[in-house]
Amino acid sequence: MKIAVVAPFYNEEKHLDKFIKDVRKTKLPFFLVDDGSTDNSINVVKKHKIKTLTHKINLGKGAAMKTGAEAAFSQGFDAVVFIDTDGQHKFSDLPKFVKALKNFEIVFGSRNMEYGVPLVRYLGNKFASLLISLLFGIYVSDLLCGYRALTKKAYEKVKWESSGYAVETEMVIRSVKAGLKHCEVPVATVYLDNIKGVSLMDAFGILFQVVKWKINL
Amino acid sequence: MIAGLQISAIIFAFVMVYFALIHYKKGTLNGFEIFSWSVIWFAAIFIVVFPDIIRVFAKTFLFTRLFDMMVAAGFILVIALTAKSYITTKKLEKKLEDLVRKNAMSVLKKSKKK
Repeated sequence: MKIAVVAPFYNEEKHLDKFIKDVRKTKLPFFLVDDGSTDNSINVVKKHKIKTLTHKINLGKGAAMKTGAEAAFSQGFDAVVFIDTDGQHKFSDLPKFVKALKNFEIVFGSRNMEYGVPLVRYLGNKFASLLISLLFGIYVSDLLCGYRALTKKAYEKVKWESSGYAVETEMVIRSVKAGLKHCEVPVATVYLDNIKGVSLMDAFGILFQVVKWKINL
Repeated sequence: MIAGLQISAIIFAFVMVYFALIHYKKGTLNGFEIFSWSVIWFAAIFIVVFPDIIRVFAKTFLFTRLFDMMVAAGFILVIALTAKSYITTKKLEKKLEDLVRKNAMSVLKKSKKK
């Protein structure tokens, strides 16, 4: 199975250099998607002489993930692993996804308290997981973890519409609707930047979307 | 005598005509659009000054007071415009997203050609 890493980024000049060095060590092909960065990120990438898929304007994480996935699948890859470029996810967990993809169509990364997830985020995450479990009958312990993988077949079935942070939740809901074989793998997490990620406003937006998906999907 | 509420409505209508004119000068609205908006707002001013001309509609639609009918009509208009604006925004978002993604993917096509 040909697997590629897809890494969307937005204003990540601080972490991108280390990320590129680390991702190269994995020997896996990778696709970087610049989601309209306004900082020096693109120059950091150029320094490494890597071709990047560039969004001229910032569309959001979901849209960038979609671009990366479509690029990878159009190049003949059978599966992709999504990873955040801010150094939050460890490459040492990558083999878990590669291994799980042999038996499952979609693999969700799962962070836990032992790995340093802040309490508020942990509780918010648990609430979201329970809500989705009640509404859609699927329990994914870490609904919002961006570290996940899926096959090309699964992508065709779960092709999401969310352009922002609701993408992870939509992916979970669509995967259960499509009856995909899924599993979770535990992943380590390092919180380097408290400002980034899903804010309270994003969370309310996602909640509104969940209601919409319950009606529509 | 014109009541305070009517004065406020007239001022609001003139402000809206002013905004329409600004957007016409900026080129956002074309000649037909500025004409249409002006007709709409001057008609609104006329109705505000002479409300009795639409009293017959209030009776037809079983509104006791003309004011009640105006409020109900206002709500319907606002909801309809919000819905229209939501749909238009969603369509534009989708078009923009497709365009940006297509542009990003063109890198792959170029490298394939090489």
